[in-house]
Amino acid sequence: MPALVALMVVTLLPTIYLVIVSLTPLDLARPETHWDFSDPLGQYRTVLNDERLHNSFWVQAKLSFWSVALQVLLGFLFALLLNVNSRVLLALRTVFLIPMVLPPIVVAIIWKVLYTPDISPLHWATEAMGFVVPSLITDPDWALTAIIVADVWEWFPFVMLMVLASLQMMPSEYVEAAKVDGASVLQLTFYVTLPYLKGVLLVAALFRLVDSIKAFPLIYILTDGGPGTVTEVTNFYSFIQAFNFSYLGYSSAITVVLVIVTILLSWAIIRLVGWGQRVD
Amino acid sequence: MSTAISGTLTAARLHRRTLLRSALVGSAAAAVGLRAPAVLGQAKKFAGVTLQGASFASTFFGYLQNYIPEFEEETGMKVNFVTNAFPVFNQRTDLELSTQGSALDVINVTFIYSGRWIGAGWVENLKPFVEDPNLTPDDWDASDFVGGTMASLQDANGDAHGFPWEAGAMIMAAARADLLDQKGLALPTTFDELMNVCEMTKGMERVAPFTADKLHHWNWIPYLMGMGGTVFKDPPANLTPTWDTPEAAKAADFYGKLLSEYGPPGVLSFTDDQSMQSQKTGRANIRTQAITWMVPLSKDPDSRVADKVRYGPVPAGPAGSFPGSNSHGFGIPVGSKNKEAAWEFIKWAVGKDITLRMLEEHGYPSVCRRSIIDSELFKETLTLNGQDVASLYLETLELGGKSGYMKYRTVPQFPQVGDKINKAIEKVATGQADGATAMAQAQEEAVADLKKSGVQIDG
Repeated sequence: MPALVALMVVTLLPTIYLVIVSLTPLDLARPETHWDFSDPLGQYRTVLNDERLHNSFWVQAKLSFWSVALQVLLGFLFALLLNVNSRVLLALRTVFLIPMVLPPIVVAIIWKVLYTPDISPLHWATEAMGFVVPSLITDPDWALTAIIVADVWEWFPFVMLMVLASLQMMPSEYVEAAKVDGASVLQLTFYVTLPYLKGVLLVAALFRLVDSIKAFPLIYILTDGGPGTVTEVTNFYSFIQAFNFSYLGYSSAITVVLVIVTILLSWAIIRLVGWGQRVD
Repeated sequence: MSTAISGTLTAARLHRRTLLRSALVGSAAAAVGLRAPAVLGQAKKFAGVTLQGASFASTFFGYLQNYIPEFEEETGMKVNFVTNAFPVFNQRTDLELSTQGSALDVINVTFIYSGRWIGAGWVENLKPFVEDPNLTPDDWDASDFVGGTMASLQDANGDAHGFPWEAGAMIMAAARADLLDQKGLALPTTFDELMNVCEMTKGMERVAPFTADKLHHWNWIPYLMGMGGTVFKDPPANLTPTWDTPEAAKAADFYGKLLSEYGPPGVLSFTDDQSMQSQKTGRANIRTQAITWMVPLSKDPDSRVADKVRYGPVPAGPAGSFPGSNSHGFGIPVGSKNKEAAWEFIKWAVGKDITLRMLEEHGYPSVCRRSIIDSELFKETLTLNGQDVASLYLETLELGGKSGYMKYRTVPQFPQVGDKINKAIEKVATGQADGATAMAQAQEEAVADLKKSGVQIDG
């Protein structure tokens, strides 16, 4: 019972407060909007008509899809490569984990330097080779890709770590039996390793999906949502509404919608793929 | 110039400066002298107090940091003054003020937030502090601040809620004027000439012809007004945005072209400081911005363009010249627990002595005190590469004050409206939309936002 109360206080009450605020037009600069429930669905109607918000959902979808897909793919491949008993590779594992343990702001600053033409070694190098690369974070065709690349760099080690841990526990009989049957390396990977890792890959992807929806520092530091609204994801838009304009009521409504979408999405994916079913 | 002549001139300048400084500070020193026993009696009055201050980053605070140890020594208080990028500071302070918290004791009252913060009662009325002889000596002289710089810091009754440290007057600086000379071009005085100069100097010595920072809702407005457009119909009475007009579209296309075709790589992500650096290092040429960011081009020891920079007024459009002007001042949050200490700091930071030292030692140009602006020292300090930049500064300040075209900027809803302008200009500059489309969309979004704030919109 005490645990239940603690859980309620820590998680449920703030969420309930968020829902309550979303039913008001709370604007910090207008005291009369505090606890004004005269039009409880007003903010949600605005959500339906706000094209910039709808665009942010689309940006979010693109960012989440590509960053999660690439993180899972790279994480899986690197885990396979590093799943060998070798001192060098053991040391390499640690190196690969560095991006993940860096504070997100530090990661953002590293990429800001890399993406700023005047001070970027990346730009110097490409220029020395005779290519002129545009400023990626201010180019509408590249800005979102630039964010995705940085996000993948930061988080693919997380997937790698989970997969590697799972691979270490994989019974060697599976592989040996397949080898006896004459399976090639590709066949081993697709018919033995991948089915074995399906559960852990799903969990890792879900974690990354939820985290990608919370993407903030990279966007805040690198692009500020721009150019225009090319990299403006939903939680960043919600942040602007709350902290640049003081529209806390509207920002809360956006956040409630975002929470619902995240829960539904996670549920759908789990249903679709099947939660952690082991294929033996 | 020979060493002998140079030496004579330097000596003469020093002599004049010493005299002027003595004259200006003399009265203050005398007053301090008369009050000496009281002051001595209150020595270290603020011992144990830690004053928390915040502002957006500016050259002013870089210079002020040099003097803060003296202030701490004199008063006994410790000053913890933090500066952030412009939007970061505004976000944080807006939230802090809205909660009426006590985390901050002294803040910058940002020009575009002044209407909102003062109107909502979040910033202390400083009139009682100014009028209390125990807190403020007569010779501090609150009336010495130029009227125009005080306007945004006063409430409807004319009471001051802040005192300015910066009077921003927008001018134009060509960091590599030598490139214009090579082509036989003069400093541009009109929009057409500006575009022509950029085109003619494009690609020369790998110098970008134009540069700017990403605060388009400040930088772009002179181009909007120069084309005959406005931000609102009739601010502050009628805040209906007027951006779905041919003038606004033309101005957006014009400015978008300056950024996209003539700006350095990544210009759309430039902060004020980055933009200034692009000029100081000679990588970019022309910029139209507040004088605070322009004078370091010729004054800072690390500037590589000190002998090449040339100044002029912001070019005029078909409808005239509308250089931006503003002011930022120190205020005290109502939730502060150290209001007297905060006032002591404000008095000191915008007092005659510090203002004068900043002018003399760093060439800080955005002076708000009339007694100093009128001085020979000001004119002399702002004679840069033989150009009378002081007059340029005063003309701009007066222009903004006279016709009131800057009123759009202090309406409480400007922060959210300005965001729409920033986004629209980014879209135009990156080719995502043309001026007409981007501005019409921005107009639609701004109207929706203004309605959300309870503002009546025409139509």
